[in-house]
Formats: sequence, structure tokens, C-alpha cells
Amino acid sequence: MEKEILEHGLNMNRRKFLSRLSLGVGSAALGSLLIPDLFSGKPNPEEAIMDALPHFAPKAKRVIYLFQNGAPSQLESFDYKPLLNKNMGQELPASIRGEQRLTGMTAGQDSFPLVGSYFNFDQYGESRAWISSLFPHTASIVGDICIVKSMHTEAINHDPALTFFQTGAQVGNRPSMGSWLSYGLGSENSNLPAFCVLLSRGRGNGQGVYSKLWSNGFLDATHQGVQFSNSEDPVLYLKDPESMSRSERRKMIDQIAAMNDINYREFNDPEISAKVAQYEMAFRMQTAVPEMTDVSKEPDSIVKLYGPDCLIPGTYAANCLLARKLSESGVRFVQLYHQGWDQHGNLPNEMALQAQDVDQASAALITDLKQRGLLDETLVIWGGEFGRTNYCQGKILANNYGRDHHPRAFSIWMAGGGVKSGMVYGETDEFGYNITENPVHVHDFQATVMHLMGIDHERMTYKHLGRRYRLTDVSGHVVKDIIA
Amino acid sequence: MIKIKTLRFLLENTLFVWLGLAFILWIGGDSVMLPEWVQVLGRSHPLILHFPIVLILFGVLFFWIPKIDQKPDLKEYGELALLVGVNFAGLTVVAGLVLAQEDYEGNVLEWHQNAGLLVFLGGVLIYFLRDQSKKILQPSSLALAIGIVLTGHWGADLTHGENFLLSPLLDDEPELIALSEAEVFRDVVQPILNTKCVSCHKEGKIKGELRLDHIAGIQAGGESGPFVTAGDVTNSLMVERINLPLEAKEHMPPKNKPQLTEEEKSILMDWVLAGAKFDQKLMDIEPESELFVLASQKFETETTFEFAAADQDDILELNNFFRKVEPIYPGSPALVISYFGISAFDPSSLSDLHKVGQQVIQLNLNKMPLQNADLSVILDLENLQELQVNFTDLNSSQLDLIAQNPSIKSLSISGNSVSRDGLQALSKMTQLEELFAWQSGLSDQDEKELMAALPDTKIDFGFDSQSVVYELNAPKIESDKDMFGDSTLISISHPIATAEIRYTLNGDLPDSLTSQRYQGPFWVNKSAEIKARAFASEWKGSPESSIIVFRAGNPPKELRLLTEPNPNYFGKGNVTLIDQVKGKNNHTSGEWLGYQDQNAEFEIILNENQKPQEITISMLYHEGAYIFPPTQVQIWISDGGTWNRVVNEIPDQSTQILPSRFEALTYTLPKQDFSRVKVQVNRITSLPKWHPGAGAKGWVFIDEISLLD
Repeated sequence: MEKEILEHGLNMNRRKFLSRLSLGVGSAALGSLLIPDLFSGKPNPEEAIMDALPHFAPKAKRVIYLFQNGAPSQLESFDYKPLLNKNMGQELPASIRGEQRLTGMTAGQDSFPLVGSYFNFDQYGESRAWISSLFPHTASIVGDICIVKSMHTEAINHDPALTFFQTGAQVGNRPSMGSWLSYGLGSENSNLPAFCVLLSRGRGNGQGVYSKLWSNGFLDATHQGVQFSNSEDPVLYLKDPESMSRSERRKMIDQIAAMNDINYREFNDPEISAKVAQYEMAFRMQTAVPEMTDVSKEPDSIVKLYGPDCLIPGTYAANCLLARKLSESGVRFVQLYHQGWDQHGNLPNEMALQAQDVDQASAALITDLKQRGLLDETLVIWGGEFGRTNYCQGKILANNYGRDHHPRAFSIWMAGGGVKSGMVYGETDEFGYNITENPVHVHDFQATVMHLMGIDHERMTYKHLGRRYRLTDVSGHVVKDIIA
Repeated sequence: MIKIKTLRFLLENTLFVWLGLAFILWIGGDSVMLPEWVQVLGRSHPLILHFPIVLILFGVLFFWIPKIDQKPDLKEYGELALLVGVNFAGLTVVAGLVLAQEDYEGNVLEWHQNAGLLVFLGGVLIYFLRDQSKKILQPSSLALAIGIVLTGHWGADLTHGENFLLSPLLDDEPELIALSEAEVFRDVVQPILNTKCVSCHKEGKIKGELRLDHIAGIQAGGESGPFVTAGDVTNSLMVERINLPLEAKEHMPPKNKPQLTEEEKSILMDWVLAGAKFDQKLMDIEPESELFVLASQKFETETTFEFAAADQDDILELNNFFRKVEPIYPGSPALVISYFGISAFDPSSLSDLHKVGQQVIQLNLNKMPLQNADLSVILDLENLQELQVNFTDLNSSQLDLIAQNPSIKSLSISGNSVSRDGLQALSKMTQLEELFAWQSGLSDQDEKELMAALPDTKIDFGFDSQSVVYELNAPKIESDKDMFGDSTLISISHPIATAEIRYTLNGDLPDSLTSQRYQGPFWVNKSAEIKARAFASEWKGSPESSIIVFRAGNPPKELRLLTEPNPNYFGKGNVTLIDQVKGKNNHTSGEWLGYQDQNAEFEIILNENQKPQEITISMLYHEGAYIFPPTQVQIWISDGGTWNRVVNEIPDQSTQILPSRFEALTYTLPKQDFSRVKVQVNRITSLPKWHPGAGAKGWVFIDEISLLD
């Protein structure tokens, strides 16, 4: 009898279980209708990418990002604030400063005296954009650029601000913007990396750059930025060792690939196949890079356009020229960093030197792309990681002062690649401290760059450690107003 | 308390009241004059109608309960629900018939009205025949339920627009319309009317006797007059109404409905201004006009392509490391082809493109060696829009061939020298929208000719290097050693190989005429400040660059520090100054002695027979780091007895902050016997006013003393 009771109990349980199960299956089925990929598991990355690419031709095919590392002052470049000259030395009103946190460098100051630009401003072009006398060449291309005066960011120190701009997060180890684009769009020229990095250093107070800024993060290692060296050999270790012939090198790579393949079959680690692909690409780069970096084929007028510094490897001008050549050769994302823009003190002197280094070559790059018919498909971006304060750091003199970090409002410019030309976007208050019109957050900027490249920033995600990541984290709006 | 029975009796009777009222209104609605409070009743129709739906559906459910006859309580509930429901149905029907007198008409209204009446009648019948057999009641109650749902659906169509319920299922992706195809009314104006106006001005609900759901209605206008007066915004009713303040009674759309955006208002007004036409193409209106600008944002500026996609296998086959073939966006039939790899380029591979001849819209051959290559394939690229052939050594017959492809809209031929024949060929390409012809060897006259021949083409001749004169950058001077024994090799270079370099060894500014011309590395055998400048035609002379080289001279027997350097900049102590090691251009390198709190003072004890004629003090200046030139330099000599001051100089003082740099202060010593030399170098005690650290103590930094016989 006991046995029967037990069996009955079990049966009851089984019946209950099955009936419950049918309900469960029903709700799951409903769920799958609402969330199409509920049962298809992790969507394959290619499908995910296709999903993020809208069905129209992108405005820009390539990006050249002229990063002005250290944060150039907007108040001596593009954001003209005569009030600061008029009220020179007067205290920054507390109502303007509000709750803004300050860096440790000026938080202890007893006073925050306003300081006006040492350099004169003038208006240029149809947009009547104000540009300081430090940037005469940029002023000459004002009709081709869109100046955004209302950028703002969340970070107040260099490292997090830079990392935020480049990877969408203040902490490291997320993929850089170039890596995301390489991941989404692939390489145009399969003999060169899709993402290249060029460094130069100015004469002003500098801040470091570190390879985490061009890291592939959790994306496949092939999307990492490839740093070009400042030396005569832009890509280190690319040359065959002495007395090794091309055919020997070929054999060697084939052998290594065969061994890697054995490992790959055993461990299935995607890093191994990435490595094999990198060796192969390096082999092709051995001919592609010298062809591309060869300056001797450039007409003489190019030297005049970029300035003779462009013939000295490692200068900003040389990097701008190289950036054009890389971009022209189908490199998706060329990232420049020019250090030396951190003018906490001695600003007029240092800023003049910095501007001298970058002004002509930046403008030249625009002109050069334009005359080759490439500007409309290449997006060029010029700007730093944040702005600088309207008050003086340290002692104030009309011709010698410094400015601290200011994340609330700063200026950048963009050109080509589907951005409206001859435009000034956004406005700041008369103190140059707060944005009064059309603020553009770093994520908005990133969303806009992605959009111009034909990518929906909200749909371009990558699943890692159980959550989906995107360059713009959980925010960002495309700034439609600046898109042509 | 009223008994259920009494209530039932009352409700059964009111049913007949509703029946009567409904009958009167149905028959003679149009001719009945209704007081205003009745109108309010009519408008409560959308509110009341929910009761009969729920209650009747609930009531008829009871007919389906098995063995309901044996459960009198349950049966009673069902009957009551049905009774109350049918009463509400009657009230709803009456209210609805009143409401229908307002601006409603059309098929949907009739369907709704008749179905409503039938439901009411059916409900009454079923209620009174509730004790009949189930065989009759069950099917008829089902029919009643269906009737109610249908009536409700048609009613919803009236208020929310047709197919409101099912539209999410029916709607496809809105069709993308190419800008070139778009019509002003059909694709710009009408969509605005459809979303913001038509719900009240349409068949079945013609408010103000105005129908906006078809062109005839728009042309006919409404009870207040014509909808618009073509070309006249001041006399157009629509313009007037949409611009009234929101509170105004006449404001359209009414306050509680979705409002027009500013952009939509602009579009509507611009359409009226442009003549309120119904068949105008968007491309036919002025591209500068506001209407065009606003409207064109709504359309694909992309041309839609008529041709079929190429075979996927062909595309895969065409792709290799040196040729990228890809659609302009995923799924597009149009292809973009780019060639890479100059040394890997095979001109015969161009003929492969025949396979996708129809689909190629962009072709990039920049920098490929096309000299004498067969480009005839370009003629077969019938949809080619953009061709880039910068720096490809094209000849005039190749240009002529390119010019024969009439579909090319954008052509880049920068870096190819264009001959007279080439110019002729280009002049035929009047269809071009843009032409990039920088560095193409065209004279001013040629350029003018080309511009005249292609009036509609945007031509970019690029950067004209002749027109600007920039300053050259400074040459670079390098010395084998900063501090040398007998001599050092100096070489000077400039990135522009053809630039001429002139230099001086005495610190004077070099000029392009009289200064020594640099012809190769040269030797220097004494301390010197070397300055150089570069010159080239079409350039302004460069700024100077300079370096200072030091001859080490003969080390003395000993050097004693009479004042202590700052402990942070102590170098290797007294030997620092005579170790013949030049300090680096950085005061923290450990090769410098720095003084701030007191002046630098030291005594040199010469070797036997050492007869120096010159003494050089090697300094570092860096105003940014508070390191300034000395304010005074004094030198004494002695033969063991009294000190005899032989030098008392005040070096040039700084006037601005300059980068860190070397300076050599050289003084001649008298031709007489002495065995000791004493040197005092005074630091600046109060930094000048222009300096950020004005008033603070400055520094002097010294790394070496050299004595030359």
C-alpha cells in the first residue's frame, strides 16, 4: 500500500511538473516572440555587426583624429571671450562656477582671478568664426571645418579624460574608438592595419600617452592600434633581418603558421588565429609600408603646404603627412597624439610654440585631402580631452599666466566626412565657463563619429563577461545638426 | 432597500424607453432639433459604450455554463448582468445617434450605427427569451458577442482612424523615397496632413465640412471657406488657423490633439507660398528655398539603384589583398572598388571588372602605375559615378577614354600632368559635378579655359604653392662632442635637400650673402657659438639655429668651492667644474652646480707652468625654472699674494622666458704670471617683474670651467 501511495505521489508530482512545464514553455515561447534571439544563443558577431550597419552608404569611409593631448585652451583658440580681458584679475563669480569640482592644483587657491587671452581674435569665413591669431592657417580653412564650442566631458584629469574620449569609459581596458571601427567595418586595405597610431611631442608642458588608449580591449587582438614609430623606420622590426631573403622569410612564416595551427586545434584560442593573421599581414606590410611612407614621390609643393618640418620624422607635420598617406591607402582610423598642451603656467609662451607646431600641418591636411577629392569621405577631428579654466592658475600677469583643467566647456573642430562645413556649433556663456547652447557630450561626439561611419552606436555592441558593451556606454545622441 | 425584483422590473421597462428613443432618432435624426444639453449626452457616447460591451459579454457567458438551470443563484447573476448591459447598450445607442448628428458620415459610420442598433435589439430579444432552449440561446448569444466586438471595432475606426487596431501588423517599413523622385504634395505635405489633420477631417468625420483625406476635399475647402489661397499666406485659412495661439478656439489642430511642429508649419506655409500645387516635384523647386531644405532632409539623398546585384561568387573572386570590392552598404547592389599595392599592380587585372561592369559606382585607382595601361574597361562601367585616378601617370588618350564615360560625376585626376589634348578631353565632360585637378601642370590660362568649358562643375585646382611664401624651418646643427679636446666635427643639415645653409662661428646672425656657405662637415678647434640659417628660392630665410661647443682646455691642479652650492644641485662637488664632462641640457642631470642662496665663488689652483690666456664659464639658462644669467661676473688673479681683479662684467640679462639652453662666458686673462684664479658669479636676487615668480630669488647653474693656454 505504501508503495502505491508513493507512486501516486510521484505521479502527482510528475503530472504537476509537466503541467507547470507546459505553462513555462508557453511563457518562454511568448518570450521568444518578443525577444527574437532568446533561443538563438549569442548572436554571431558578424550578424551583430550587420545589424548595426544601416542600409545607406556611410558619409565617411575613414577617420583621422588629430588628438591634442594635454588639453589646449579653448580661450586662446576658438572660444573668444572679451569679457575675460575686460574683467582681467577680477574674481570668477561663484554663481558661474557653481558646484564644479576643481583639480588638486587649484582647489587650494584663495582666489580665482579671471584671465583674458593674451592673443587677439578675429572673425573668419562665412560662419564669422572667431579664431585667435595663433591659428592663422586654421583660419584660412574655416570654410571647410565645423567648430564645436560646446563640448563637455566628465573627467577632470588627463588620464581618465583621454581614456574616456578614446574608449567611452574613464577606466582602461575597453576598446578604443579605432578598434570599434576596425571591428565594425574591417580593413579597407588588407595589407595595412585598420587602426594606426602616430605620436609626436611639442615644446609645451606634456602629458603621457599610453598604449591602453589604442587597446583593442575585449575585442579581437587584430583590432588593436598599431603604433608607428617616430624613427626613420615607422614600423619597427618590419624589415627582414640582414641576410634573410624574402623567400626564407615566407618559409619561416609558413612554418610558424603550421605550428600555431596545431595549437589552435588543441586549444581553440582565438588569440592564436589572430596571431597568424598578424604575421601574414606583417609580411604584406613589408612591401606596403615602404611604398606608402615614401615621401620622395611627394611633389615639392607638399613640403610647402605642410611646412618643411614634415620631412623630419616624428614631428607633428610629418605625422599629418603620414596620416594622409595612410588614410589614402585605406587605413580606416589614423590616430595622432600631439603632446605638450598642458599649460598650467607660462601659457602664452608655450601655447604659441604648440600652435606653431600644429596649425599649418592640421590645415594642410584638410587642404591636401580636399585637392585629392578625399575630404568628403574622410572625417578629420582636431581637439583635446577637456578645456582650460577661465581663471588663472598661480600668479597672474597679462603676458604670463596659466590655466587649470576645465571639463565643462571646450572647443574642438571637425571637417569632411559628412560634417557640415563652415559652421560654428554651440555656445558658452560670456565667461566661457558654462555651455549655454547645444551641449555635446563626449558620448554624443562618439555617437556622431560612429553615425558618420555608417554605424548605429546603440546597436554596435559586443558581449563580454555577461553584458553587452558599446563605445557610448548607455548614452549618446547623434548630433544631427552638424551633419551635412 | 429596493428588492432585486423591483429593480429588475424597472430596468426591463427602461429598455422600452431606450427602444423608443432609438427608433425616433434613427428615423428622424436629421430633422430633430436637439437642445445643447442633449449634445453633451451625445458626446458621452465614447464614455458609456464600455459598459455594455463588458456587461453583455459577461452576461452571455452564463448561457454557456453547464447545467446552469440547476444553479438558480448563478442564473440570476447572469440575467442581471445581461439586463444591465442591454440597458447600457440602449443608452449608448441613443447617445451615439445624437453624436452622429455632429460631423460624422460615411460607410464606417453606417456600419457602426446599424451594428449598434442590431446589438441592442438582439440583446433585448435574448434577455426576454432567456428561458428558451440552449440550442437557440447559445448560438444567438455567440452572435451577439461577435456583434458587440464588431461594433466596437468600427467605432474605434471612426475615432482613431481606419485599421487602428491592426495597423501595427499591416504596416510595412515605410518605403524609402529617393530625393529625385519625391513630390512636394504627395511626399512632404500630405504626410503631415495625414498624421495631424485627417483624423478629424476625413470621410466619416468631416469636422467643419472640410475633408483633407483626398485632393478634391482640399480643393473644395470647408464651411468657413477655401482651405488655402495658392501663393497667398495672408489670405489662407489653413495658415491663419495653424498660427493662432494654442488657447484660441479656432486653433488647429485642437488643443488636446497632437500639434504641428515648427518645421511642419514652415513646410505647410512654404507649400502655400509656392502655389499649393499637387503635382510639383521636389527637385523642381529652388534648392536654396526653405521648403527644399526642410523637405529634402526627409528623403534618401542616395540614388536608388535599378540594376541587379552582381553574383556573390564573382565579388568574392574579385576580392584579394590588393583589390577591395564591396557594396556601398550591406545589401546594396552598388559596388566600390579600390586598388592597393603599387608594386603588386597588374594592369591586365582591370579587365576582371567586366564581371561587375554594371554594378561599379566608385573606382579608386589612386597611385597605381597606369602608364599606358588599357583602361577600356572604364567605358563598360555604365553606372560609374566616381573615379579616382590621382598620381597615375595618365596620358591624354587615357584621359580621352575616361571622358567618354558619360556617367562619371566626380573625377579626381590630381597629380597627372594634363596636356593640351587632355584638356580638350576634360572639356567634354560637362556632366561632371566635381573635378579635382591639383598638381596637373595646368597654366592659369588652361584653368580658365577648363572652367569656361565646364560651367556647372566644381573644379578644385588645389593648393597653389607659388602664391604663398613661408619661412623655412631652421637647420639642425650637430657637433661630434659638446666639449672637446682639440677639435670637434660640426655638421649642419636641413630636411629640404636643395636648401642652402649659411653659418657663422662668432655668434653673429648669418645672412644669405656674406656668411660662410655650408658645404660639408667642418672642424672647430675652439669654444664657439655656431649659428646657421637655411635659404631657398620661394621661401623666406629660416630663423637661426645655434649650438655652443666648448673646448675643454687644460685642467687645473685643483678647484676649491668657496661657497657651497645648493645641496640639491651639488653634482660631484668641486670636481664637477673641471671633470671635462659637459652637463646635459637639464639642470637636474647631476652634472651641474646650482646656486640660489649665495653667489657661486671658487678658486682655481693652476698647475706648474700653466699659463691660461682665456677662461670660459659654461652656464645653463632656463628662465622658466628660475635659472637666469648672472648679474655680475668677477675674476681675480693672484701669484700667492694679493688678489688682483681683472674681470668685472655684467652679462646681458634675460627679458623673456626661453627654453633651457647653454651659454659660454669667455674672458681673456692678462699675460702675466699667476698661480691662482678666483671667480665669483652672482645670481639674480630678485626676479624681474615680467616673470611669474617676480621678486623671488633666481639661480645660476655652472657645469664646467675651461682654461685655454
